[in-house]
Amino acid sequence: MAFSDRAKHSLYYHYSPTYKYSVGVEAVKNRHNGDEHSYLRLTYLLDRKNTQGSQRNLYLQSGVDPVDLDHYFYGVHGDWETRRLFSGFGYRHVVDDEVDFEEQFVQFGVAPYLGDYGDLHTWIMIKSKKNTLFGSWSTYPVLRLFKGNGFAEFGYSDQSQWDIHLMYRF
Amino acid sequence: MKKLTALILLITTPYVVIADQSADHAMHQADVFVDGSAVDIDPDQIKQFTADLQGGQVAVVSVMGMVCDFCARGIEKTFKRDKSVTKVDVDLSKGKVLIAFDTEEPIDRAEIDRKILANGQNVTAVQMLNI
Repeated sequence: MAFSDRAKHSLYYHYSPTYKYSVGVEAVKNRHNGDEHSYLRLTYLLDRKNTQGSQRNLYLQSGVDPVDLDHYFYGVHGDWETRRLFSGFGYRHVVDDEVDFEEQFVQFGVAPYLGDYGDLHTWIMIKSKKNTLFGSWSTYPVLRLFKGNGFAEFGYSDQSQWDIHLMYRF
Repeated sequence: MKKLTALILLITTPYVVIADQSADHAMHQADVFVDGSAVDIDPDQIKQFTADLQGGQVAVVSVMGMVCDFCARGIEKTFKRDKSVTKVDVDLSKGKVLIAFDTEEPIDRAEIDRKILANGQNVTAVQMLNI
């Protein structure tokens, strides 16, 4: 999984022994101060609700730099989605030896068409994000695409610049 | 103090929510499996799926929570590891997974249920069709 926005560049490899949790390593370059850290990460599915037409998830996330234990983070993220609608949120508190900061987002989306299994799936979304290093909330459009095992998400605003999320499932 | 907090967070996260696992297991035990006529199957889809099959059986599995193509990929991968499985297809619109087995032996429903649950979804019904 690769992620890039105004605050950081990140590359994350993770493995899920069960659907309940995943473990992995995330290499992060902090674009605010230029620091680089590698985190050991743990994500845990706190709650999942399946219905015939929807799924809701709530996850706990945490990570720590094993080389410098003063760098770590923790947070929650969640989503609720149907084949047509999506909503999600996330909160992360990052502890850094220079300055602690928080990242928050909410995201809503709609699928303009319902593709079959194997088709290209498209979501038109809106995302609001705040990083306390940069101050106020920024709201911008996001395009999400996935097909097969590939996933890509692109967002842009003048304030937050590019928000890119790429994922491949092996 | 920060180091201690970081270690505690990383190590204890799974145990903080252990009660949730128990609740999920209880829900799994309460699943009801329904045979035959209760399962809605599109005849054209079955015909297309079975066109190149030479005998065996097809399980039509109704699944809750399978709302996304990306999430259903795990189901396909899990069943394709089974050597008796020759083909897997997913119908997202009806929440069905079609699994072709090359054996005439009875298929273990509990195993189907376990594999779907391992991907994080729930089985509500299974119908077996002889080809």
